[in-house]
Amino acid sequence: MPMMPWRTSLARAGVGLPLAVIALVVAAIVLPQASDYALRVLSAAGIYALLALGYSFIFGQAGALSLAQGTFMGVGAYVSGILAVRWGLPFDAALPASVGLPVALALLVAIPVLRLQTHYFALATLLIGQIVLLVVTQWESVTGGANGIGGVPPLALLGHAIEGRLPALLLVWALVVAGGALAWQITRGRLGDAFAVLRTHPVMAGAVGIDPGLLRFTAFLLSAGYAGLAGSLYVHAIGVLSPDILGFPVMVTCLTIAVIGSRLRIAGAIAGAVLIIELPEWARFLRDDYLLAFGCILLLVVVALPGGLTEAAERLLGRFWTAPPVAPVVPVRIQPRALPARGDALLRVAGLGVRFGGVRALDDVTMELRAGEILGLIGPNGSGKTTLLNIITGIYRPDGGQVWLGGRAIVGRKPHAIARLGIARTFQTAALVPEMSALDNVAVARDAACVGLRQALAVGLRDGPRARARAEAMALLDRMGAGQQAAVPAGALPPGVARLVEIARALACVPLVLLLDEPAAGLNETEQAELARRLRRVADDGVGLLVIEHNMPFLAPLADRMACLDHGQLIAAGTPAQVQADPAVIEAYLGTPVAMPT
Amino acid sequence: MSRGALSWPDCRWPARLWPARRRPIAAWPSAACRAASGLLIALLVGSPAHAAGPATPDIPVLVPVTGFLAAEGSSQRNGALLALQNPPAGVQPKFAVTDTGTSPEGAVNALERALSDGDVTAVVASMLGTQMLAMLPIALAHKVPLTTMSGTADITRKGNPYVFRFFPADSVVKGAQVRYAIDVDHIKRPAVIYQTTAYGQSGHAEILKALEAAGIKPVFEDALDVSVKDMQPVLAKARAAGADSLLLQLHGGPTALFLKAAASMDIGLPIIAGSGLAQPSTVALLDPAEIKGACAETGASPVSAETPEMQGFLARYRAAFHTDPDGFALGQYDATMMVLDAVAHGATTAADVTRVLSTESYTGLAMTYKSDGHGDMAHAAVIICYDGKSRIPAVVKHYDFPIATP
Amino acid sequence: MAASQLLLEVLALGAAYALVALGFVLILNATGAVNFSQGDMVMAGGFGAVLLGNALHVPGLVLLPLLLAGMAALGVVVAAVAYMPLRRRPPEAVFISTIAVGIILQNAANHLFGAEPIAAPPLLGAGRVRFAGIDASVQSLAIIGVAVLLVVFLQVLFAHTQFGRRLRATAQDREVAMAIGIPVDRMVTVTFAIGAALAGAAGLLLANAFFVTPTSGADYMVKAYIAIVIGGWGSIPGAVAGALLIAAFEVLYPSLPLLIPPLLRMAQSDTVFSQTTSTIVLDVAVLVILVARPRGLFGDAVRQRP
Repeated sequence: MPMMPWRTSLARAGVGLPLAVIALVVAAIVLPQASDYALRVLSAAGIYALLALGYSFIFGQAGALSLAQGTFMGVGAYVSGILAVRWGLPFDAALPASVGLPVALALLVAIPVLRLQTHYFALATLLIGQIVLLVVTQWESVTGGANGIGGVPPLALLGHAIEGRLPALLLVWALVVAGGALAWQITRGRLGDAFAVLRTHPVMAGAVGIDPGLLRFTAFLLSAGYAGLAGSLYVHAIGVLSPDILGFPVMVTCLTIAVIGSRLRIAGAIAGAVLIIELPEWARFLRDDYLLAFGCILLLVVVALPGGLTEAAERLLGRFWTAPPVAPVVPVRIQPRALPARGDALLRVAGLGVRFGGVRALDDVTMELRAGEILGLIGPNGSGKTTLLNIITGIYRPDGGQVWLGGRAIVGRKPHAIARLGIARTFQTAALVPEMSALDNVAVARDAACVGLRQALAVGLRDGPRARARAEAMALLDRMGAGQQAAVPAGALPPGVARLVEIARALACVPLVLLLDEPAAGLNETEQAELARRLRRVADDGVGLLVIEHNMPFLAPLADRMACLDHGQLIAAGTPAQVQADPAVIEAYLGTPVAMPT
Repeated sequence: MSRGALSWPDCRWPARLWPARRRPIAAWPSAACRAASGLLIALLVGSPAHAAGPATPDIPVLVPVTGFLAAEGSSQRNGALLALQNPPAGVQPKFAVTDTGTSPEGAVNALERALSDGDVTAVVASMLGTQMLAMLPIALAHKVPLTTMSGTADITRKGNPYVFRFFPADSVVKGAQVRYAIDVDHIKRPAVIYQTTAYGQSGHAEILKALEAAGIKPVFEDALDVSVKDMQPVLAKARAAGADSLLLQLHGGPTALFLKAAASMDIGLPIIAGSGLAQPSTVALLDPAEIKGACAETGASPVSAETPEMQGFLARYRAAFHTDPDGFALGQYDATMMVLDAVAHGATTAADVTRVLSTESYTGLAMTYKSDGHGDMAHAAVIICYDGKSRIPAVVKHYDFPIATP
Repeated sequence: MAASQLLLEVLALGAAYALVALGFVLILNATGAVNFSQGDMVMAGGFGAVLLGNALHVPGLVLLPLLLAGMAALGVVVAAVAYMPLRRRPPEAVFISTIAVGIILQNAANHLFGAEPIAAPPLLGAGRVRFAGIDASVQSLAIIGVAVLLVVFLQVLFAHTQFGRRLRATAQDREVAMAIGIPVDRMVTVTFAIGAALAGAAGLLLANAFFVTPTSGADYMVKAYIAIVIGGWGSIPGAVAGALLIAAFEVLYPSLPLLIPPLLRMAQSDTVFSQTTSTIVLDVAVLVILVARPRGLFGDAVRQRP
């Protein structure tokens, strides 16, 4: 019986819990006597904490450097401010708009912009921010232009204006706690694991059925929503609408908080915000130089403490306090997918060709993989074997030809859709998330189509779906013979075991077809023999296996059929014995025609 | 005035007021200890408040020293400091300079921090309109007077009795600018070119109002960002639109770029600029020949040094700050001196000073100041023009505006 | 306004932008990382020129080599502090570290020089020349001249010297370059030095005509970034082409009513053809390019492996 899951969650809360306790104690002692000024600064820290919490979705979880977070905050501020001053709408009544409009803006720009790579995405978000700032500054009739709008009323809740500093502070920080709790709920379960996969290996994410586009989209919208809330709190706290809230310095502050506080930790966002907002106040002796010190500190933290202060603190604490051991997980067998009869064609490839720059990487490749068989694919380096895999799994688009999975044409579909249809693969270098345990690395591939925001919000403290996924993953690890290392972080696994874990993960997708890229590399002979046996058992279940290998003693006895690629073309196909004796194959490997001994 | 030497105004200030020049960053303790102790310190009540004694008023200086208004904010700071460092006999003001940056948040924090440090008698407040608007409610709540150079109309229209504007409002200076253009240059088809900042937009609105009152509509208008470098297109478009004059509301740097371009294009139109051309730092960027015939509006022009007192001020300012003062510096000097003068005559609390500022008149170096009931103290503007031979302008016209009846 | 006059302005502005973009793309190629402080280096170059000019009282042309050397030293420092410790980390880390460097440079400049605009000494002189119906300042011609010289020099360096070949090899494939014995770290540091020197040259040239303030760097940074995207990420001729295109847009869009007189009489012509609208239109155009053809004009010279 696994021990209470919430207790393990607490133990894993890291630095957050002790920090929160300390903060509460200090607050209870100090707040009642604090000056208006101190309360105001602490409220500002809370507002930036909300901003940073939101930012941790897109920048931390999804790993995308968005430079629009400040813009979303500004839009929220402007909506709330304008509604308050021109239409008398109080803070809480305006919330649907002041949170909704930034989200709508994020929606509008997300689709074209999110799929861009880092450097383009950053520029695109930067330009969007610039455009919004220019439009707001010019649109004097609505926004007051560069002079802004004064006289924004203070915060109001349910018809009552919140006049005092202390009540305002409590409201802000109540929202921070709520925001933090929501962020925790969203990221503690399977969705958090999926995000970890997304930012560590974006390409591999698709291969296990995780939709990177949807995940980034969700993160982006969440970040915009939090920013909108922060903005509307800000404008009512300051009392003045001014375009500087749309300026780049706000974005820099947010980025600084995320980097210094640890972009992946909720406690980090909050502690970082308190630190950064209070910093100029402590650094009064530096007067005008505090911005200079700011820059130096940011540089120092980025260089010396890559994960941020919170993660560094956790590492420090980890030396003194080890987390309790993970309770053993009872394996549960997965319901297999209905598989076609042995011998039926599962995967068909016809006339596949692709060109990269001037090089023809694949040229008119046609082959077929049948249910229950193991097809070995050989060929010298650069002959296009991995490229073929990449095209089948949808990572590249071919210039010509078609791929059918069980009669369904799949060229042009997204990698995650192809994975969910039933094609799983491994990579030449095992693509596992180093910080996650072997078990979690496999569990993340279970039912990836059912991982999303809705499911994350619906999950209770016990997190049933995750427990089930883990149990099923345990069964798969046992099947591949890696069950003993289930709790070991994947980064610490020896390469042979890592490979087995990867295959287990591929099996977690319940595939019809399994594509393996050099599975035996790095294994000794005993391990190779073990692996061969296990692969044979997988094939016996009805799955079609395509194995790329250089290792003939491993592959030849294992494969039912073999094919050989050279310079992108299929030069031989048949039984292993036939292909190995084929002179074209020998020439491809050795480079010169070999005279057969007489 | 040589622009070459790095100005280190900080070194000029008396050592007793500032801590050691710079503490090495490496001396900082670890971030965690800092977090805990700093949080406590920041939250605890500040240094024990001591009532401002009759001779030691607390006058914090809260102005933008970084950001796009830093040049103007530095003028405010220097003017205030000159007064605070040379107070009337029997007065020893306590003061600290804090940078308010460009956001209302910065100003609000600075003001509240100053208020929490002890009894404040009066405040030298940022001239940035949005920052002033944010500070107004706090001044009202704490009943502390703010003295500022801000031109934004709204700040004296909020019914707040604690704001005192010692520089002619935008309506006054823009009124003077337009009046001069009509009376002397006989303009009928002006082009109005302004900055996309708060300064530019509020000035533009006032210019349009003044033109409309005279029944004139501009034939061309353009709003420029501070980063615009090439002024030739906008000049050419103004000319092509048939403009007979150029009314500017630009910051210092862009004003200089504009005049350079106008000179190189031989635009041949009269140019009446905003206060940007009245700032010595702007004029230092131009050749005297490039500004021949160009005029500007301002509250006062200390570098023109018309009176012996003005000359004395000019000499002292140059000695203290190694740079030339502009109208903002002079205005803030006068404002601060009025406060100190009130203290010297017996005002002890913020309420006393507020009463003096609201009801009495004061003859400063630039003009005589008296509140019109709403906090506007300055009701005169001047037009200065450059003769093309030197960088020192001459004051060619003086406009007095009547005090508006409430 | 004669079209030839406009063309000259475009060339002068574009030449200065091209220097900034060139330094930016060189660092990008060598490190795979975006240098967010490139614009602030331009600003530092401008202030450096002011400093040297006040100390030495010689024409800008004599100051230029000194400034290049100083800026190269700054580039070495920035490489050591903001790139080298982070070279094995994902690219965002360098984004942030260079943003930090930018903040440091800006505030140091504000502290040392104040916030008012300052003019750097001219390269040759302050006069104007008239030829072929064009009235040009000597400085504009000098900008074009210096930019052409530097670009040619770089071209020769990269194409015809061993050193340049090694720099290119490092930029193309770091691992292979290391494998064949090229001291990759040293090459990267040199590239930073060159990038900073180019920024400094641009700073000196621009600070005379357009003055320099501590915050003037941000604008150049965004323009260089856009130039790289338009011209094709990682492409050197693309960077130059992109810079020229941006300058052309910046000068020509607001000038459209001059070239096409009916536009001048169009309703709201002042707003539609204002500088602000020009910036918005440029930003929107770049966004469209990013979405529709992210490989830019010259294509993605740097391919990312899956």
